[in-house]
Amino acid sequence: MSLAPASFARAGAIAFLAVILQLSGFGPMRFFGGHPDLVPLAVAVVAVYAGSVTGAAMGFATGVLLDLAVGGTMGVSSLVLTAVGYGVGRFREVRDPAHGLMPIGVGAAATLGYVAAFAAVSFMLDVGSAVSALVLRDALVTTALNAVIALPVFALCRRVLRPSLVMDPVDVRRRRRGPVESGPLGLRGLEA
Amino acid sequence: MYDSKVVRRRRAVLAIFVALSLVMLTAYFGEGSGGVFHTLQRGAQEAFAPLESGAGRALKPFRDAGGWFGDTLEAKGENSDLRAENEELRKQLGESAAAAEDVEQLRGLVKLADEDTFPTATEPVAARVIARSPTVWYGSVKIDKGASDGVEEDQPVIAAGGLAGKVTSVTGGTAEVKLITDGASAVSAQVMPSGATGIVRPEVGQPEDLLLDFVDRGRTVTEKTTVVTSGFTSDRVESRFPRGIPIGTVTRVDLDEVQLYQRVHIDPFADLRRVDIVQVLTAKGNPSETADAESGP
Repeated sequence: MSLAPASFARAGAIAFLAVILQLSGFGPMRFFGGHPDLVPLAVAVVAVYAGSVTGAAMGFATGVLLDLAVGGTMGVSSLVLTAVGYGVGRFREVRDPAHGLMPIGVGAAATLGYVAAFAAVSFMLDVGSAVSALVLRDALVTTALNAVIALPVFALCRRVLRPSLVMDPVDVRRRRRGPVESGPLGLRGLEA
Repeated sequence: MYDSKVVRRRRAVLAIFVALSLVMLTAYFGEGSGGVFHTLQRGAQEAFAPLESGAGRALKPFRDAGGWFGDTLEAKGENSDLRAENEELRKQLGESAAAAEDVEQLRGLVKLADEDTFPTATEPVAARVIARSPTVWYGSVKIDKGASDGVEEDQPVIAAGGLAGKVTSVTGGTAEVKLITDGASAVSAQVMPSGATGIVRPEVGQPEDLLLDFVDRGRTVTEKTTVVTSGFTSDRVESRFPRGIPIGTVTRVDLDEVQLYQRVHIDPFADLRRVDIVQVLTAKGNPSETADAESGP
């Protein structure tokens, strides 16, 4: 776990803001029938930067907060988001993805996993009717929209988390790179 | 390479969180509306309400900008449909005016009690939607009116002229509304003017298509007729709505040779995916005023 104990406040703030913004701002937005979902992205970003254990804890806490705020069945969101946080954290620990566009793939995968698992759990618990194509369309649109907003969300959350991270993976990667050949310093004709 | 302690601890943490989630899930289903988790939810919703309301207002310009793109595309298609519908409604308006006169006379004759009809027995309270369920599975919204405004549990909620749902939980300043598109929703309804009755259920993930189920095969149901709440209760219906609240228009009737009942598809009047303002049909007369009147000389 690379998050210091005091940094849970920062992770908590991310979870709280994600839930409030999702319910009041992003939830009612409609793009091609779907809407962006900040909640799985917030869990994924903490899991990527802090590992699987913190990711699972973040998923659980965010899920509880979401169920409390929405008034949905307690435990459903926390169950699904715990799995998402743990899965993304393990992916980071095992693979250590270094590509700059990693947030897009991770964000999309986390969202798809969240939507699919949520649908499966809800279907098993609550809903007896036929599932329509609209549910699948919504899931795919939400995944695509989250992939689009993943980069800025990851960058913003990393900025919030960075003071508390024991090790910032982005900085580590920068240090691993070889020196850049930039040529002689100075002005033309007066090179050092 | 792997520290077995770290692996065990990681798995233990995951197991604990999953177990806690399952315990919450089981306890939530097992307890009544006065249980610990339901009470916690009401408290949290009351605490979050001002934040959600503020954030909702602050982000409205962004929401509107986002919605503008989709709306522009849909508006073109809707325009021609609305023109045709407008023609039809003009015709119906003329017929309705004549029918309204007849109704007034008939009501005087049979002395119908006010509380049996909509909307005379109810006091609509306008409310703004401040938060909504983020998935298509739980069709619920939170509104900015609560017990202090006369809102009580099980009161019907309408939006844009049609039934939207019912109040499921109330705090001082907010209320939770379960929409008729929620998987667990069921509303007793009647097709007008044929009088065929059935139960309106949602087709999950299809907010533009409700199903009127358990309609007798012998009853004739025609397209473009209106479906309203019937006001009766049965073992298939979880709660009662007042009679006469419009729900939608009939779009299609499925007649299966094998089935005992026919299934009627309804296009709801209320656009529940975009609802921003709703009305709660509260009991007529402020409870405090009624109490004062009763305690008077």
